[in-house]
Amino acid sequence: MSNPASTGLFINGQRETGQDVRVGNVTAALAVANIVKTSLGPVGLDKMLVDDIGDVLITNDGATILKSLEVEHPAARVLVDLANLQDQEVGDGTTSVVIIASELLRRGNDLVKNGIHPTTIISGYRTALKAAVSYIKKEMVVNVSTLGDEHLINAAKTSMSSKIIGKESDFFSKLAVDAVKSVKMNATAADVAGYDAMGSSRSAEAAVVVPNGKQRFKYPLSAIHILKAHGKSSMDSHLIGGGFAINAMRAAQGMPTFVESSEGNTVKIAMLDMNLQRHRMGMGVQVIVKDPAEIERIKKREMDITRERIRKIIDAGANVVLTTKGVDDLCMKYFVEAGIICARRCNREDLKRLAKATGGRVVTTMADMEGNETFDPDCLGGCDSVREVRIGDGEMLYVYGCKGHGASTIVLRGANEYMLDEMDRALHDSLCVVKRMLESNTLVPGGGAAEAALSVYLDDYANTIESREQMVIQEYADALLVIPKTLAVNAAKDASELVAKLRSIHAKGQHSEDEVDAALKFMGLNLIDGTIRDNLVAGVVEPAISKIKSLRFATEAAITILRIDDRITLNDSKGPA
Amino acid sequence: MASQGPPPGMGPIMVLNSKTQRSQGRQAQLGNINAARAVADIIRSTLGPRSMLKMLLDPMGGIVITNDGNCILREVDVSHPTAKSMIELSRAQDEEVGDGTTSVIILAGEMLINAEPFVRTNIHPTVIVRGYNYALQEALEICEKLALVVDVNDIDKMKSLVQSCIGTKFSSRWNDTMIDMALKAVLTVSRAIPMPVGSDSYSQKMEVDIKRYAKVEKIPGGEISDCTVLSGVMFNKDVTHSKMRRRIENPRILLLDSPLEYKKGESQTNVEITDEEDWNTLLKMEEEYVENMCMEIIAFKPDIVITEKGVSDLAQHYFAKANITAFRRLRKTDNNRVARATGATIVSRTDEIREEDIGTGCGLFEMRKIGEEYFAFFEECKDPKACTIILRGGSKDVLNEIERNLSDAMQVVRNVVFDPRLLPGGGATEMAVSVGLRKAGLKLEGIQQGPFLAVGEAMEVIPRTLSQNCGVSVIRTVTQLRAKHAAAYEEAEKTGGEDAFPKCNWGIDGTTGKLVDMEEFGIWEPFSVKIQTIKTAVESACMILRIDDIVSGSKKRGH
Repeated sequence: MSNPASTGLFINGQRETGQDVRVGNVTAALAVANIVKTSLGPVGLDKMLVDDIGDVLITNDGATILKSLEVEHPAARVLVDLANLQDQEVGDGTTSVVIIASELLRRGNDLVKNGIHPTTIISGYRTALKAAVSYIKKEMVVNVSTLGDEHLINAAKTSMSSKIIGKESDFFSKLAVDAVKSVKMNATAADVAGYDAMGSSRSAEAAVVVPNGKQRFKYPLSAIHILKAHGKSSMDSHLIGGGFAINAMRAAQGMPTFVESSEGNTVKIAMLDMNLQRHRMGMGVQVIVKDPAEIERIKKREMDITRERIRKIIDAGANVVLTTKGVDDLCMKYFVEAGIICARRCNREDLKRLAKATGGRVVTTMADMEGNETFDPDCLGGCDSVREVRIGDGEMLYVYGCKGHGASTIVLRGANEYMLDEMDRALHDSLCVVKRMLESNTLVPGGGAAEAALSVYLDDYANTIESREQMVIQEYADALLVIPKTLAVNAAKDASELVAKLRSIHAKGQHSEDEVDAALKFMGLNLIDGTIRDNLVAGVVEPAISKIKSLRFATEAAITILRIDDRITLNDSKGPA
Repeated sequence: MASQGPPPGMGPIMVLNSKTQRSQGRQAQLGNINAARAVADIIRSTLGPRSMLKMLLDPMGGIVITNDGNCILREVDVSHPTAKSMIELSRAQDEEVGDGTTSVIILAGEMLINAEPFVRTNIHPTVIVRGYNYALQEALEICEKLALVVDVNDIDKMKSLVQSCIGTKFSSRWNDTMIDMALKAVLTVSRAIPMPVGSDSYSQKMEVDIKRYAKVEKIPGGEISDCTVLSGVMFNKDVTHSKMRRRIENPRILLLDSPLEYKKGESQTNVEITDEEDWNTLLKMEEEYVENMCMEIIAFKPDIVITEKGVSDLAQHYFAKANITAFRRLRKTDNNRVARATGATIVSRTDEIREEDIGTGCGLFEMRKIGEEYFAFFEECKDPKACTIILRGGSKDVLNEIERNLSDAMQVVRNVVFDPRLLPGGGATEMAVSVGLRKAGLKLEGIQQGPFLAVGEAMEVIPRTLSQNCGVSVIRTVTQLRAKHAAAYEEAEKTGGEDAFPKCNWGIDGTTGKLVDMEEFGIWEPFSVKIQTIKTAVESACMILRIDDIVSGSKKRGH
């Protein structure tokens, strides 16, 4: 039937319809899920990806794995995009999204085979999702009104437990929490007020605030700068609270290696996005002179223009000059004489962040409205001290005690570059989680506890539905169990037995009237010993928002793919279209 | 309908690019371990005083003769991703501490090899990783206890330290010269830097910039014993004009980074000449420009003028007349060194020269001819903070190897200047850690115990390789050594209770293969190098163990 002639349609391409395409899509989704499956959970393992040049990437991050794999199948690509979306929105839980989505698809496909129309399945999944989300909000969410460090650290630990830095989670979770907090503390009053507003509204109606949560989201993470330098051990990574590090070294050896504030004067940093080179006219500008003496003066003027600029910057009080462009050797001398640290060819993004952190501005031109050149001292950023530090084989400029908005730098150290890259990704996830927690103030137990509880709840809920959706909701309930199951399988435990135990405990908790049994809803897996414990007490927690989002994304993806019943692949059009 | 398997006519569903290759699970893990073993085996024979050199041929036909671990691995072209990641380790080690590049690979390889039985018996890699990490912490503690603080100014102690480090190298026959050179070079370029308030643990009290200020000049010819460290700098340039003076005592030196010739402006300028007169003025102006610059320079009465750019014939003429020796086209880095050695400041505009820019720190300037080339020597500097090391030797390859040895030695000195703690060498530290881990491991509960003990066993690879390379009975020597350390432990426990820690410094004399007390024998290694080696080895082993899936052939990221 995939023959174009038999369908009566003459398409320059191939067409698949009905069950064929559905089976194909589901198989593809499962294949994608299988790839990332083993990286889930605290005992998940890493993947090594080698590209055609031979560059190596070692990672445990679901989004990164999928991004790097060349997924060709269109339906599988939907899943990959979805994981990316989760990565952008929440920053964590990418692996679980893919796994849940593929499980929903598999079960959905089976239902279709049993003669249930896809639209029924879709509406069933929607109902189930709605019920699940409201259950999480009502029952599972723990509101942490005064969020102690302990909970933040626990959440960070949970997120990094599956990653390469998991073994040093005590150290890194503290690093992550400190980093996020240091950013928050330095935020202006308006920002702090914003946080509070967000926090309270979110705890009441967590999902509603999501759309406007986006701007908030960018602020802290961009202020945390992660620098990687290989050498030493991962435990030698450190946080420069309220500081900033730039991967640049002073341009001339005659410059001081550090400047610090004296008598209450802060160290002033000028951030430039312009050349401090001998001035030259733009392309195509020709100067034609009649008098040969003029040419000499032009030459002299060229040098003087830059000198005057530098003089203005120095007179404005700058102690440190950073520029994204070049600095001429002949200009270097003025800085050396003034005892100023000057670094050239800095990363522009870094400078922008530094400008924010120190309360300065990146200056692109010195021209003012009157056509003169001035350097506004307001553009200068302030900090306590700047020094050049040798790290490994190179040097970096550390800026301590920034005076502007919050900024922090985490300097990661590790055995080699692959390890550093992976540490960076892992830490990024944890930072996202901590930030989410700080914003939303709510958390849910991890380790499969939420999924098991939902599964039991949805099963009961299904029985109250009289329509065809009942079966679908039941399948949805079963599909959620894939998370505890995969966790147990990865830990090489008896998955069936553990999950059965977990379910029965949750069922007991939900059906019992007893107050004591209510706490049973926080029971989750202990993957190290292969037992069941209260994960809230054990400190395995996740931000509620992350859980809800991952359910939403997974369901949406499953629905999108299930709706497809026809696939047309066009051949490459030859000749003019 | 086609519910089982792929529908007819459609073929298998291709999710991934068909060109990608995957290896999964056990196969990937064992493959990684084998790759690591292969890398470690390449350089195993280059450890210790009885080490052998490797000769490497590159595709262009060039040869490298070395026993420097990092250098060997850099040249070896490997394709296995894990092997590549191993090679990265030695690079990181080289950059961070500059020594121990061979040990780090051998140790990391051994850590992985020792993990193989656990992988085969289905112990989960995360459990192994956890065990390894406990062991790492424990090992670091043992090292801390074993460390000995050295006085940096104690020349004898420092010498023996450097000796143990480059004792394994090719240049060991000229050990004393090498050691003196390394010490002198590093102490010359080291300078104390003032500490700012609010500095963190990363700030150093000392600044030792070997890379920039201790330049190694290799001149083929002569003997290795002719190598020296100048108390000043030297560069391979001849004077620009043959009439200029070739020997000046206490010269006044002026450094420039601008050209001493006529140069057009940056902007495009055209001159329209309508008059013949103008043409002459133009030419004259150019000459005047150069003359002007020269006069400005001459006004300060320097004896030597060095510039990074060109010097025109006209300028040479003026200088020769004013009895000034001039050099042109010096490299920026060389110029920096001269500046630091003589106390001059590099000037970029001749009209901005000031008296304090002139360097007077140099005691003697002399041109010397070595072989067929002329070299400018700036010697007898007062308090030089930069130096040049001259290496002489039979051939280029020999010189290259000596340079590598010397840079290792200098790095060792630098590390000790930063962190004056030492650990016994000759496999003594490794054996102490191994025995210590065994003691601690038996008290550990859970499945981590196995991997924990494995780290201890893996540490023994260093004494084992040492004895293997010098050709004595490996098993006998290593067991004897182990017994020595274990006995020391029991001794300490008897006298000092459960937590007593014995300072047992017995190790292997890498030349004879006998057991010696390193304290008497005088083989020490910097604490920072040892610690870095152990940390890097364990961490990288953990990273590799955690991999269970290798996908190769995917395109560059970002597509």
